Amino acid sequence: MLALLLMLAAAPAAEEILRNADRSILGDTAAYQLRMTISRTGKADRVVEMNGFKKGDTLGLARYTLPAKERGTAYLRSGDSTWLYLPSAEKVVRVGPKQNFAGGDFSNGDIFRLSLLRDYVPTLVAEEEKDGLRAYKLELKAKDRSIAYDRVVYWVRADGTFFPVRADYYTISGKRLKTLMAAEVRSIGGRTRPTRLVMESALESGSRTLLEFLKIDDAAKLDDRMFTPSALERGQ
Amino acid sequence: MALLRIAFRNLLRAKRRNILSGGTMVLGSAALVLGSGLSDGIARQLTASLVATQTGHIQVVVRPNDFQPQNSPFDVYGQDFFLGAEDLARSLETGSAALGVDVVKAVPYVYARGTAMAGSRSTLASIIGVDPEREPELQRSLPPASGRFLPAGDLTAVYIAAPMARKLRLATGDAVSFVVQTPEGALNSLDMIVCGVFKKAAPWFDGAFYVSLPAAQSLFDQPGGATNLKILLRDGGMRSAHRTQPILARLVAEAAPRKLAKGTALQVESFDKAGRFAFAIIQANETALFILSCFLFSASAVGIVNAMLMSVHERTREIGTVRALGMRRRLVVRMFVLEGFALGSVAALVGVTIGGAMVLRLALSGIAMKTMTLAWMAGGDTLFPVLEPWSVARAALAITAISTLAAIYPAYAASRLQPREALHHI
Repeated sequence: MLALLLMLAAAPAAEEILRNADRSILGDTAAYQLRMTISRTGKADRVVEMNGFKKGDTLGLARYTLPAKERGTAYLRSGDSTWLYLPSAEKVVRVGPKQNFAGGDFSNGDIFRLSLLRDYVPTLVAEEEKDGLRAYKLELKAKDRSIAYDRVVYWVRADGTFFPVRADYYTISGKRLKTLMAAEVRSIGGRTRPTRLVMESALESGSRTLLEFLKIDDAAKLDDRMFTPSALERGQ
Repeated sequence: MALLRIAFRNLLRAKRRNILSGGTMVLGSAALVLGSGLSDGIARQLTASLVATQTGHIQVVVRPNDFQPQNSPFDVYGQDFFLGAEDLARSLETGSAALGVDVVKAVPYVYARGTAMAGSRSTLASIIGVDPEREPELQRSLPPASGRFLPAGDLTAVYIAAPMARKLRLATGDAVSFVVQTPEGALNSLDMIVCGVFKKAAPWFDGAFYVSLPAAQSLFDQPGGATNLKILLRDGGMRSAHRTQPILARLVAEAAPRKLAKGTALQVESFDKAGRFAFAIIQANETALFILSCFLFSASAVGIVNAMLMSVHERTREIGTVRALGMRRRLVVRMFVLEGFALGSVAALVGVTIGGAMVLRLALSGIAMKTMTLAWMAGGDTLFPVLEPWSVARAALAITAISTLAAIYPAYAASRLQPREALHHI
């Protein structure tokens, strides 16, 4: 018990760990290329590739490049609002942050949650082995009832990299809804980071979605004007 | 009176012709009574189902101020939760008695959407939180096809529609999970056990999962909240609901103010207004019956005109004789019109007797609605026609009136015959 207290006292503050974890995969501004593979029991995998962009904690954009028939479909996050552009309908529609992103296990909010620290109050509860790695265990409590997951248990590597290891997402009733696992740490875009994220549903057996970062450019110069619904419609 | 006696006696003079033309009217009035019986049965079943499962006789719901009904069965449900629903129900039950309104009960319930999951399957779910102890009429309207109805006080039981059981491959005793977004935005979930499966041949029940009211309130993180408040009156007629609606609206307005979303308000609606969709089906049935009646009446009227013209032609010499003896034209008109009336009233009597007997026979056995569309239109898997005295009287009066009116032209033609020419007629 004393050892645990000493260990926790020596660890960085929970906010500090979470702030670093928030920036450990993508920097403050980034352009990236992503492949998403959605698996469902009894169905063929669905693969989607997209180009993504993020700027600060409030702006995010993802535009499909594959499959060909869905090319141009795009999601935009600006502040607390999310929009979807469907090229076949030539329309921009507002979508909810809790809706599935591209039909997978990630919600729009999961993809475009640009800062966990903004939505949750973190508490460092332990430092322990998780998935074979030494990790800080954080309890994240939603700041209010409008946040999708009432509680998140988040493991972040305790080796100074602050890479995410695993996150369990819980509903208000305390039931685990899904689990995120980060893996395959390698150098991409000139920096070492996890490049594979797997989200598994805890309720729907066999339901999982894999995100693979194919390219990341942390030095991209992005104009605020590309993160608007009108730019979304113009395909910029 | 003497002319009326003569008119009835004259029916016997051309038996075959009168049986044929009267037969058309017999069939018409029998069809009309049967059609009315079916239409009244549909109206009664749809209304009973609407009142029992959705609106009560009067309901209280939250509506946006600019609410536009979509003419959908889901228009019935409130768009948002209101808190303190139990308190409001109690205050309506007690407060209404002092105002002379006989409220049997006021029961809150929850209707909201979510996702139901079982194994690797999931589906959009209509989650309905009810109090089975206070709503025994629900069980009568949604009897179990397997298992049992939602048990009172069981917070983990769920009673599901047969299409959902098929889609998620669920049977009694199986587990199902619900994931919902609460009105504030957070996600919540609940694991439940299937206690029974029901069949209701109306597509708007296909996605239904009935759970206990406290379970639904907990799932949507709205303790004490409801989307609808169903009020049942002792006198469940439409007039009674219309008379009571403004009184209850006043009571709701006087009750403690509730925190509602901006741009919304609590509305008090009678069941015909709340259940526009069901009443649109009833209206469509009545319109179809009216159009059918018009065709039947037209066919009957043509038959009557034809038979009476034949009668005038055959009785030309007789008309000439009575005219030569001093019978006025007005009396000739009256005599033939009364013959039309006599034929119509006899045909109506026979027709409504046959039609009424058919309705009573079908009301005992019921008519199986074998396709989903038929069951949808009839408000259930089996249609039980209803013999309403007013529908019988309407059919009898209508066929008699048509027959009488159809006799006017032949009567007028008879009255215009000149006695001298008529007497020469062979």
